[in-house]
Amino acid sequence: MEALDIDLDESEVELAIEPMLVNVGPSHPAMHGTVRCVMELSGEAITRVDVQVGYLHRGFEKMCERGTWSQVFPYVDRCNYVSPMLNNVGFALACEKMLGMEVPERCQWYRMALGELARISDHLTCDGAMAMELGAFTPFLWMVKARDMIWDIMEEETGARLTHSFGRVGGMAKPPTTGFKEHARAVIDQVLKIVNESEGLLLGNRIFLDRLEGVGIISAEDAVSLGWTGPCLRAAGVAYDVRKAHPYMKYSEVEFDVPVGKTSDCLDRFLIRLEEIRQSIRIIRQCLDRMPDSGPINIEDPRVMLPPKESVYTTIEDTIRHFKIIMEGLKIPAGEVYSYTEGGNGELGFYLVSDGSGTPYRVRIRPPCFLVTGGLERVITGQMMADVVPCFGSLNMIGGECDR
Amino acid sequence: MPKFKLDDYEIEFSPGETVIQAAERAGRSIPHYCWHPGLSVAANCRMCLVEVMPPPGRPALSLDVLRFDEKKGDYVKAKKPKLQPACQLAASDGMEIKSDTSEHVIEARAAVQEFLLLNHPVDCPICDQAGECRLQDYWLDHSGRSKRMRDEIIHKPKAVDFGPTIVYDAERCIVCTRCVRFCEEVVGDPVLDKRERGNLGEIVLAPGRKLDHAYTLMTEYVCPVGALTAKDFRFKARVWFLKSVKSICVGCATGCNSYTDFDPRDQTVYRYRPRENAAVNRYWMCDEGMLDYQRIRERRILRARVQSDPGASATDALHKAAALLKGPGLAVLLSAEHSSEDNVSVLELGKALGAEQFFMTGRPNGEGDNILRNADKNPNRRGILNLLPTVSSLAALEKAVEAGQVTRVLALGSAVDGSADFLRKVPVVALSVHDGPIAQAARVTLPAASWAEAQGTFTNAAGLSQVSEKAVNPPGDAQPGWRWALHLAGALGVSLPFTKGSEVRARVQPRPSTAPSAQA
Repeated sequence: MEALDIDLDESEVELAIEPMLVNVGPSHPAMHGTVRCVMELSGEAITRVDVQVGYLHRGFEKMCERGTWSQVFPYVDRCNYVSPMLNNVGFALACEKMLGMEVPERCQWYRMALGELARISDHLTCDGAMAMELGAFTPFLWMVKARDMIWDIMEEETGARLTHSFGRVGGMAKPPTTGFKEHARAVIDQVLKIVNESEGLLLGNRIFLDRLEGVGIISAEDAVSLGWTGPCLRAAGVAYDVRKAHPYMKYSEVEFDVPVGKTSDCLDRFLIRLEEIRQSIRIIRQCLDRMPDSGPINIEDPRVMLPPKESVYTTIEDTIRHFKIIMEGLKIPAGEVYSYTEGGNGELGFYLVSDGSGTPYRVRIRPPCFLVTGGLERVITGQMMADVVPCFGSLNMIGGECDR
Repeated sequence: MPKFKLDDYEIEFSPGETVIQAAERAGRSIPHYCWHPGLSVAANCRMCLVEVMPPPGRPALSLDVLRFDEKKGDYVKAKKPKLQPACQLAASDGMEIKSDTSEHVIEARAAVQEFLLLNHPVDCPICDQAGECRLQDYWLDHSGRSKRMRDEIIHKPKAVDFGPTIVYDAERCIVCTRCVRFCEEVVGDPVLDKRERGNLGEIVLAPGRKLDHAYTLMTEYVCPVGALTAKDFRFKARVWFLKSVKSICVGCATGCNSYTDFDPRDQTVYRYRPRENAAVNRYWMCDEGMLDYQRIRERRILRARVQSDPGASATDALHKAAALLKGPGLAVLLSAEHSSEDNVSVLELGKALGAEQFFMTGRPNGEGDNILRNADKNPNRRGILNLLPTVSSLAALEKAVEAGQVTRVLALGSAVDGSADFLRKVPVVALSVHDGPIAQAARVTLPAASWAEAQGTFTNAAGLSQVSEKAVNPPGDAQPGWRWALHLAGALGVSLPFTKGSEVRARVQPRPSTAPSAQA
């Protein structure tokens, strides 16, 4: 059969010239949770995109105003739910800043070790999922296996794999277990091995590199003006890490490097996270070496810390202390504070306003991936439909943190 | 005005006042247990100790003490200023007092707390005072320490039945003697006394007596800890779930100021507490008034009812009421139990329907005394007399009904100070809170909101008009009187001089009182 258009003049052929509107999400496997992208496509290329977030908004900040200060911990756990320890520690540090108290040294090392383990878990999830969405299922399973080892440590220490609500104002819920250091050292060795293997598997793959290299580039100026922080900003070449720029806890006393990218494409964002895992492992090793094996984890302040249960049941003073802290909430003097740490996705900030009572007046969480998702439009506009997958994956938008 | 200095604040005082009195008035509170502004000074708790700086040129009053020196590991001699109880110390001009800024005072407060809690039972989970207990509050604010005693606490009688209203727990008691002083000084009935001393101290009843005067619930109110508890409130509610509004007691014509404590979750009133008012009730309320909150719930009329038609709906009742009120010979029966807002609404409705005969009734008289209770058990008789100085009595209404001058009655209220049987002879439309004699006699009864369910103005026997705030929502179909008046006016096609609650309130603004009595 001959071609239909063989006798037609070029000017007579009518081609579609209106762009196609495609709705991606909020319920879509590539939309990393619940994000809706309304895309205007011209062929395969995205000419315009409208990114709509908020499908996971649960009203956390408002709910915090209806409880006590220590009742905020379960909420912040569920913000960046792949690295909950970082959120817990961030909020505890914010409260302690307002109270003007510093936790004992042993607690600082413990928080750092657990926090970096959470960061590793975050990056493993991001990179693993990115690989899987491009068809590489094996590295995903390997990284999830590594992540599960970390979650085993979390379960051993806190009782829960993921949303453990382990932080407390003035310390942690429980001291480290006796086997913590041994367990952690064994796990991070395994994790390093798995990360190296997965990287080897992926970076030798032509298809993987083609999908990521040169895709989703954003300039450093754009990234900074969008308010990006964390691995995405560092991939764009800006060396800003809160742990180095404004060190907190013992970060100024440990040696680690901050990887910075060159081309600011998806591959850079992918590789930076793997490199950050290696640096986190370095930090954890130093923390475990320097953490004392005995000594208090919590501050001994009766206004803020709960007493041990045995004395609550037997002495009147500790019954009163328990009663007051639980029923009225620990009291933070009136004032406001902005406290910021390096979360999994960047500068995780807590702006707290206290009216002097046991109930927060306002808890504002600065979610790093909300600002990063704000740049999604710029990153994927002009790219092809299939590029959305690695681009969105490399930004690591966590719905819980973005929408709260 | 003479002044003294407390920490960094200058406090003015009138001569004769103690330091703690002047400080409280100025808003700078000094922690205390046994002192009460309405009772004599006992100075036995020692919590209000303050450091008095010596006048210029004089040495400080100091004591030789032994202090444990950490570095030496032994006791060393030291000097400590003699602290004075602020409740007993008369303020003098130019005095300099340190309370929160003195380390000795802070140490003393922590020590007093330790002693008070030394033999205290671990009762917080079952004690009613939890949430409003000074031991809890002061421990957190002024101590924060554990006690150093390792022995078992001294055991004393618990849950002792003191009388019809009060239960006493000797282990929780800190023997501040507020209850003893209250009974003796305010009531004039010294039925309570303290026995033993030291850590064996407890409160006992006079031999052969029970705590049975008319103000027993005030002993529970003054008790700073959970030693004295009210049988009526025990184990019923946790105070942190309760919200408070400023209210006026409607038990009698004294008009004691109160707080109404209610749980907003189930819209139930759990208790009253006295509210300070130097002109009316000072710091106190009587038992009758304190327990009067029970009438908010008891025997309430929840739905409109028609005597001749048990299955009538609310709209039927409204139309039946409208039909009964049409025509000549309408009398309005006001109630001294109800607020001026309720009364003025019913009065205006009656006037709009052409009524020219106005009467007033209320609860019958009861027991009065020269402490707080008034024999007139109605909160608003003067309020109605202010609205309508020529209002007549229930007896006059009966005569008018017998004489045929009154052929229909629009009534407000539940109780009568006489017999209500005659009301059955004529059609009566009643706006009642409780199912009392008026509602029983009425052909149509519309459910009214009680005093706790709407803001109301009450004028007491001394002529003072006071406003009571709304606590809970009206139950069932009950509505405030002015709403019913508007419904009835609508059904009858007449207009009233108000359309909103705020306009009704504006009509009952307090006016200077004249005191004519009701004409018979």
